[in-house]
Amino acid sequence: METKPRLLQILDVVTAVLFAVAVGMVFFYAPMERTMGQVQRVFYFHVATAWVGMLGFLVAAVVGVLYLVRKERRWDIVGLAAIEISLVFFFITIVSGSIWARPSWGTWWTWDPRLTTATIVELVYAAYLMLRSGIEDPDRRARFGAVYAILGFISVPLTFASIRLLRTIHPVVIGGGNASAEGEFSMTPKMLQTFLFSLLVFSLLFVDLLWHRIRLGQLADKVEQLRLKMVQ
Amino acid sequence: METLETTNYMIAGYTVIFGVMLVYLISLFVRWRNLKQDAALLQELEDKEP
Repeated sequence: METKPRLLQILDVVTAVLFAVAVGMVFFYAPMERTMGQVQRVFYFHVATAWVGMLGFLVAAVVGVLYLVRKERRWDIVGLAAIEISLVFFFITIVSGSIWARPSWGTWWTWDPRLTTATIVELVYAAYLMLRSGIEDPDRRARFGAVYAILGFISVPLTFASIRLLRTIHPVVIGGGNASAEGEFSMTPKMLQTFLFSLLVFSLLFVDLLWHRIRLGQLADKVEQLRLKMVQ
Repeated sequence: METLETTNYMIAGYTVIFGVMLVYLISLFVRWRNLKQDAALLQELEDKEP
């Protein structure tokens, strides 16, 4: 377990190279947006980090179901790993969005439906980490984590749909316009290519980080088992 | 319409994006190293036990 698998080593290198290409495309390939200027370039990684966030919360909910059905600890380790990574990426989404909002909306923050629901998602999953750290029994902790990840996931589609169903100033770049949105723009082919490539690279980055975080979880599990054995 | 001068905001945005990702990567590395040390120590103690 402690020697890094060959496939993970390859994945690390491929992800790093593609990430560098994505950064290059954002800064040198995608054209500057005419109205917002350079800050629009934040959009590519802002959406990509939100995608990774939502993907991880989905993975956690799915493995939560698997844990409840099969009672195998490995699903708890995967769920925790996915939620931790998603929390980090969703935090980036919220902060980078706030930085984009300042010149576009004239404010760092507004309690718009999208921003509010995204904040709720972040707080729901931050509470997951805090609450599970307070449970000592590993089986109870895993059961609690699985149920919480499934219930917590309700907040994710609500956030995704908030800009499509509610009156909001947040732009809807994919899937149609929003009459009340501020800062909307149409993507040129180069912008679209950069955007799609960023999504692909961040998906790969998620898989890579998830693998690393799962290995960390397995090692933490081994240490916990050794500690419990010493106490007995 | 005139293009807004927003380069500083872009720099701030990417500083946050790369900075938070870097901090997370470092945290993964540090936790891995600490857990490996703990595992080695606990294994040693277990092996010594009669």
